[in-house]
Amino acid sequence: MKYRVSHTTTYTYARPVDLASHMLHLTPRSIPGQRVIWSDLEADPPASRTNAGSDHFGNHVAWMSMDDRHASFAVTVKAEVDVAFPPPPQICDTLPWEDVAKAASAGGPAAWQAAEFVFDSPMIPSEPAAGAYAAPSFPPGRPILAALLELNGRIRKEFAFKAGVTNVQTPVSRVLAQRAGVCQDFTHLMIAALRAHGLPARYVSGYLRTKPPPGTTPRRGADQSHAWVGAWLGPDHGWVDLDPTNDLVVHDEHVVLAWGRDYGDISPVRGVILGGGRHSVSVGVDLEAL
Amino acid sequence: MMAGPTLFAGVVGPSERRADIRVTRPDAMDEMVDGRGSLRAHWRSLLGSFSALGEGGLAERARRLRRAFEEEGVTSVLPGAIAHGQSWRCDPVPLPIPAAEFAEIEAGLAQRATLLDALLADIYGPQALLAEGALPPALVYNNPGFLRACRSLHTPTRLQFYAADLVRGPDGTWRVLADRTSGAAGIGFARENRRLLTRVMPEAFRPMQVRQLRPFFDLWQDSLQKLAAPHAAPQEGGRQSSPTVALLTPGTGAPQWFEHMYLSRELSCALVEGGDLTVRNGALFIKSLRGLQQVDVLLRRVDGRMIDPLELDHGSLLGVPGLLDIARMGAVRISNDAGSGAAEAPAFAAFLPALCMRLLDERLLLQSVPTMWLGEQRARSVVRQDPGRWLIRPATDGSTHGLSPSSMLPADRAALLQKIDLRPWEWAATAAIPPSMAPCLDGDGLTPRPIVMRLFLVHDGVRWRALQGGLARVLENTDHVAGRLPQGGLSKDVWVLDEERGDVTGPAPVVAPILPIRRATGDLPSRVADNLFWLGRYVERLEHSARLIRAAIARLARGTGLNAREGVELQCLARCLVEAGCLPPELGAASASTTLLGEALLACVREGGMLYDRFNAVSRLTESVRDRLTGDMYATFTQALRAAQADAAAVGRSLDGLSHAMVSIQRYSTSVAGVAAESMVRGGGWLFLDLGRRVERAHAVTGEIAIALSHAPERIENGLRLVLELCDSAITYRARYLNVLQPAPVLDLVLADQGNPRGLAFQLVAIHGLLDELIDGGGREMLAGAAAGLLAEAEALVENVLDAKDQAIAASELPPKLEGIAGAIAELSDRITRRYFALLPVAQTLGVASESVDTVEEQTSELAGAA
Repeated sequence: MKYRVSHTTTYTYARPVDLASHMLHLTPRSIPGQRVIWSDLEADPPASRTNAGSDHFGNHVAWMSMDDRHASFAVTVKAEVDVAFPPPPQICDTLPWEDVAKAASAGGPAAWQAAEFVFDSPMIPSEPAAGAYAAPSFPPGRPILAALLELNGRIRKEFAFKAGVTNVQTPVSRVLAQRAGVCQDFTHLMIAALRAHGLPARYVSGYLRTKPPPGTTPRRGADQSHAWVGAWLGPDHGWVDLDPTNDLVVHDEHVVLAWGRDYGDISPVRGVILGGGRHSVSVGVDLEAL
Repeated sequence: MMAGPTLFAGVVGPSERRADIRVTRPDAMDEMVDGRGSLRAHWRSLLGSFSALGEGGLAERARRLRRAFEEEGVTSVLPGAIAHGQSWRCDPVPLPIPAAEFAEIEAGLAQRATLLDALLADIYGPQALLAEGALPPALVYNNPGFLRACRSLHTPTRLQFYAADLVRGPDGTWRVLADRTSGAAGIGFARENRRLLTRVMPEAFRPMQVRQLRPFFDLWQDSLQKLAAPHAAPQEGGRQSSPTVALLTPGTGAPQWFEHMYLSRELSCALVEGGDLTVRNGALFIKSLRGLQQVDVLLRRVDGRMIDPLELDHGSLLGVPGLLDIARMGAVRISNDAGSGAAEAPAFAAFLPALCMRLLDERLLLQSVPTMWLGEQRARSVVRQDPGRWLIRPATDGSTHGLSPSSMLPADRAALLQKIDLRPWEWAATAAIPPSMAPCLDGDGLTPRPIVMRLFLVHDGVRWRALQGGLARVLENTDHVAGRLPQGGLSKDVWVLDEERGDVTGPAPVVAPILPIRRATGDLPSRVADNLFWLGRYVERLEHSARLIRAAIARLARGTGLNAREGVELQCLARCLVEAGCLPPELGAASASTTLLGEALLACVREGGMLYDRFNAVSRLTESVRDRLTGDMYATFTQALRAAQADAAAVGRSLDGLSHAMVSIQRYSTSVAGVAAESMVRGGGWLFLDLGRRVERAHAVTGEIAIALSHAPERIENGLRLVLELCDSAITYRARYLNVLQPAPVLDLVLADQGNPRGLAFQLVAIHGLLDELIDGGGREMLAGAAAGLLAEAEALVENVLDAKDQAIAASELPPKLEGIAGAIAELSDRITRRYFALLPVAQTLGVASESVDTVEEQTSELAGAA
């Protein structure tokens, strides 16, 4: 499936900003199952200096500094991406979840990279309540994919999609207590639940196609940056992406932008400004199927 | 009973005390005495020189040493710092180590530093050690010092400075307790210990060949300069200038502030805070009076996680946004690398022998104190068998103190073991070995006490070289062995002793490029100039308030015997004191009672009072500009300030006491002025200190003359008398005009006479001259012009009075005009502040805290649902 991505973030400042530096995680990465045909990043006003590179997780990063006074900052990424993630393995072919946890904690050649995603991260500290919530889906010996799919569905069913009740820093415990939130909260919740079981789980940011395929229910979280969970199935099957907001296995409706331990690792537009006073931000995302 | 050679009989203390310690640490090694009770060879001449000091001689030297520390050393002037015991003391008995033994330790530490650098190169590079399983992922990925943002930072070496804490076990072997790779504290204290010890006990050094510490700092300085990118150090006026090195400190609030200031001097580099720096145009700059001054190398003395709010801890105000980005581009080199703290993880010790073979193909020369990572099942069962033999530490955080199960209640011990079982990968266990004991002065005798020793190494571009000395720390009972350096305690100077005299060869001298001559004020960071300016203002304001309060007390002391004239004067003084902020406004009214006035004056020096607050402000400012003052100047500033503070604290309810305290303040102010005039190089710091002082005095004098002259013409004489008193000019006046009091001569003396240092004209001329000295860059002419204009205005006022038909009437009409001048002076001060100290707006972070990813999508999806 081919898509055209367009994602604009605009900051408007009450007073002029004298100096700004930004770190952007906005360029989609090419990975097995996803080919970035072209991409283009543009800032308005243009940056005094731009550097591009990749971060610890292999995501594309751009650093922009603005040395001149400006009253607003808009950054737009446009890209064309071809997506076709392979379907997940057969459930019965996947390891019992305890074996996956063991493999991760052992590290070594087959598991050292996945092992990073077992530990607490700044925005997802250890949360026993998340583990307890997920526990019914993880009876002893159950194949990991079965457990994951069930948890993915439970979050979709048992949590209300509600904007404004949470923000970037809402802890998982609050999301659990109020049984409501947005994609980022559900993603953090599911990651905390998996890590509590010793399972590697990562935060994936990206986009969901704006108009769902004909004949399907409207998706939640389209038209905006979206987030979902990468879960590790063990050394043989590697990672599978699950979208707990929509109870989907990521296949060809999602475009992957970047992944990390939590939102903080891959915040799309991070910046430090001098001056500016109060600011407002607006985000527009379009993922159009071609 | 201990039978030592008679040589140190008068020095070693009661043997029972020694026995006590022996009971608690039955197998600890004694640094001074061997197993058979005889003195180790390298202690002999040292103890010999101690006995030569005679009865009580050592204790006397210890007292002198302590005083030296208080006066110019490590103790801080900040309120409360001393009260909380947050200061270092130095034991007069050093810890001698024979050169051969030290060389062995040095070789071992050099290898460890090389090894840890290689370890860092791997975890920030290919991560082969993780892929091979040579390192457990938990020690890297769950390590707070592992900064993912530094993965893409490619530098040839990550460590240039390394320190280690060592203990010597009962078997006599030194072992490493903690590796310090981030930027260990303590080297400044080591150097200060040596400096003061040499001064207080020169004879102790004479019989011995003690290796020098100074060459290490030259090496370090050279090593930092070499780190600069080749394109740094541009040609300046045909000569090559050195690359700019700056030491980044968290600032005066940091416990290590003293050391940072000290190091910046030893290494001849700029001392900067995050707010002094800015990233522009792909490079790092200091915001100085001259403008932006590029920095090539940043000596990092701030936690690596704090140095860039853009990529690391976003709440940090200690760093510089965008710093990592330009470091990545090679525009600035950070030493040690921001991520170097990762190698401090205590659990690495368990893996170092194998890693040394794997990375260096060498056997590890200097072992760690036996350490296990509890992520391994086998290690946990070993600890479980006998927890008391171990010290439990966080696996990846070397700054935290270890926990000692042996000193825990059984319930607490069980809770700790349970905690370990829950998240075993977060813990490590280090063998609890008794550290060796070294003799410390205790009253008149010596008592052995347990010690840990910190040594320091720097990479000179070719190899690692150790400071030929170090900081030994006496462990208190409550002390924790393994964590970061505490903020105070008893330390010992480490002496590396050459067996033979004369074989000491220092390192080759550093070849520095020929420096261009610089005299300008421009290199001063704007923040420092700002602080000096305000220090000048506050010291002057203190003095001024003291003068007013003394004048008021002199009148209050007469009680009911106050005549009408004195009553009016007192009321004028009260108004002046209200202006100075010492009294609440209602006491400036004519009806204010003298009792209330007295009470209010006494309240000034109590906690929360105006003078009390000003003392603290002056203390803080003094501390913040301490790097601009020599040791002697700092000592003078702070001693006089402490004396004045002590007198003020002792005032109680006595107006006499208050008067005495005010004299102390005036003495303090005079000594600051004297030391500044005699010892500070003109230009730079002195200029702003003096400018602050002149501006403050000009403003105060003008305002007070205005208040004193607010009389009806027929009573103007009273006002004139007070004017002379306030301006300390009565004697001069009498010498010139005898006892004839007339408005024009009085006003000439206090307003227009450029030779009267208490008068307005003198201040304006000085301000004009000082502004002339400042580097320009726009706006200076206007400021200097404003000062000259005010002077002309003051002279014209005096002319007018002189030419007036009735001088008394003319003088009584002056106050509004004088208030105008005072206002213009305040404005001038504001303009100086804006021009030279231009404070940047506060930084704020975007994209981390305030927004949500998909707050808007809710509406969209609901709309979609409705459709």
